[in-house]
Amino acid sequence: MTVKLWNFFPREALYECYQCARCTGSCPALEVAEALGPRETILKCLNLGHDEVVEDERLWVCCTCNVCEDRCPQKIPISDLLVALRNSAARRGNIPDKLQIAIELLAKTGRSMIVHQLDEMRAHHGLAPLMPVPIDEVREVLKKTKLDDVIEF
Amino acid sequence: MKYALFLGCAIPIKYPGFEAATRRVCERLGIELVDMPFACCPPPTSLKMVHHDSWLALAALNLCRAEEAGLDLLTLCSGCVNTLKEANHTLKKSDSKRRKINRILEDQNHHYKGTIEVTHILDVLYQDSVVEKLIKEMSLELPMKIGCHYGCHYFRPPKIMYPDELSDSESYVPVKMDHLLSIIGMEPTEYSRKFLCCGSPLGANADQDAGYAIVKEKLGHIRERHIDALSVICPSCFEQFDMGQIALSRKFKDQSKIPIFYLTQLVGLSMGMTPKEVGLDVHRVKSKKLLESIGIS
Repeated sequence: MTVKLWNFFPREALYECYQCARCTGSCPALEVAEALGPRETILKCLNLGHDEVVEDERLWVCCTCNVCEDRCPQKIPISDLLVALRNSAARRGNIPDKLQIAIELLAKTGRSMIVHQLDEMRAHHGLAPLMPVPIDEVREVLKKTKLDDVIEF
Repeated sequence: MKYALFLGCAIPIKYPGFEAATRRVCERLGIELVDMPFACCPPPTSLKMVHHDSWLALAALNLCRAEEAGLDLLTLCSGCVNTLKEANHTLKKSDSKRRKINRILEDQNHHYKGTIEVTHILDVLYQDSVVEKLIKEMSLELPMKIGCHYGCHYFRPPKIMYPDELSDSESYVPVKMDHLLSIIGMEPTEYSRKFLCCGSPLGANADQDAGYAIVKEKLGHIRERHIDALSVICPSCFEQFDMGQIALSRKFKDQSKIPIFYLTQLVGLSMGMTPKEVGLDVHRVKSKKLLESIGIS
């Protein structure tokens, strides 16, 4: 099952892009890694269609910092596009291992961090034990939104 | 002044010192914090990228809990505030999304109504009445050059995070941390690329070395301005700079290290709390020498 990409992002907005590359020039990820970059992502969506783009692993090399959208002179909602493309990529199995593991942990425990000898550590700072997560509720909600279509938990 | 305290995951589990400092500071400033069993926010850098509907529903579950207690949500992390503010904004604005989410939540006996606001500790401390109290409670100034790093998710996208404070060009540049730190006697100092990413999400999702390359670049600009220390309002940014400097120092031996503080630790110190009380003893980059140079030990 694919994500209805254009529910997240107005397709016409792609045509607002005149490839000025202000987004890509601002992109901190592109400066240090082999990222796709926002300008090229938009161009590829236009020329090749988003089906090609969601196969590309470089789609995930991103800080999610939103600076591309912030600086876009055309006010294209670039981060909405990137969220939609990655949601679609994840459904097709294009998802970084590290991210998959992080989300499995979140779905199993309701937290993004592994809890280990926490009470002692908190006591060191004069803090009471952490309240437990309502994990049954969390799992029910994640099941109902069909997270397990993408990540088993 | 009373808030539901949304601790998130990284602060209570990895950096409880920030939590201890925040609780002590809030108590002294008359800000009442109510603990509740929240789940992960969930992060704008992880679950939102993989499954938007799950991200929105889980955020709504957290919002409902505060709403049921009739309290606004106070967050301590740029990631948490981003998720919860955006989810709150989306659900208040869209009838169809609210209906969809409420169908999911109804079996758990929750119903999102859209009656509360989400805020961040920086915005709470920056309120006039709190600043007035802070000035009365302050017992010492912290004279040093401080760089502020806000963390992207604290203020981007500005149309959702700070819709009432946009400039004519619809942009927003945060200043509150700089102002607040100048009140406690610090010298906020500008540096190049101040408002760009710390590299944490890049390291977490894709490439750790690339994430640290961003830290190296930013630290270069910070050193250029002879800044003594960096203040942050997000545990992920903190870890990126604190751990990042340890990792980088193994590779590039000649680099001097810059201590990183979480905002409420600095505010706590200015109120006369000890470094241990505000949890500085567990930081990887030590601040002992710097603090001794201004008479804090």
